[in-house]
Amino acid sequence: MFKKKVTFKILCLLIASDMLETAVHFFFKKSTLGASYEQVTDLATAVVFLKIVFFSPFFWGGLLAVFSVFILWSLILSKIDLSVAVPIASFSYILVPLVSVIFLHEQITALRWLGVFFVLAGVILVSLSSKERAEQLK
Amino acid sequence: MKEGLLLVLSLIALTSLCDTINQLFLKSAIDSLHFIPTFNLIKIFKFIFRLLITPRLWLGFVFSLISLCVWLVVLSKADLNFAFSADSMHYIFIALASHFVLKEKMGFGRWLGTGLIVVGIIFVSLS
Repeated sequence: MFKKKVTFKILCLLIASDMLETAVHFFFKKSTLGASYEQVTDLATAVVFLKIVFFSPFFWGGLLAVFSVFILWSLILSKIDLSVAVPIASFSYILVPLVSVIFLHEQITALRWLGVFFVLAGVILVSLSSKERAEQLK
Repeated sequence: MKEGLLLVLSLIALTSLCDTINQLFLKSAIDSLHFIPTFNLIKIFKFIFRLLITPRLWLGFVFSLISLCVWLVVLSKADLNFAFSADSMHYIFIALASHFVLKEKMGFGRWLGTGLIVVGIIFVSLS
């Protein structure tokens, strides 16, 4: 039953979907920046705000990213259990601190490293559990 | 956090719950299509199209929308750090729902792994 096994390909899909999700937040945040001077106090100002956001190319980039995440996530779920896919998607809690240390030279506290270690151990355990299961089904 | 810890925690539980329900509908919609994993683009787009016309999926989207609205309320009341650490209860809901609703075989390793991730996220969010 290869269906339940976490393969390298699925891990790549998961990381891609994680990165795209970051892009979603980035694009949507960017699309609101052009309208940040608008004070949204009532319905009329809300409409003006939404109009500016709606005409921002970043907003459409964000929507495209949302749809891409949906496709990737559907493909992932068609291959593995929900109780495996969701925990492994917490990979970003490992990736983000690593990236911020290596590329942004940020300081990271001991408690945070401990947290990253726990998440890493958890992700490995969950991935292995799906492999064991797959071998039992064979 | 003047609004009361209990209220914020219940709101976070509500978003997690709605999100879990959304994932359950999505997973069951995908399983009902019996899609065979492939990297053939045409087959993938056919699969996505058939998925998009599955009513269950849109029921899930409704819950996702509720979850988003409640999350926005949570963010207006609580610190981001606290909100994210408490949101890790999401993983427990997913594990329970997978076990009891989808009848996935969890096993000891998967429970332990999920628990470690929850502890890890709480540490990362609070530090």
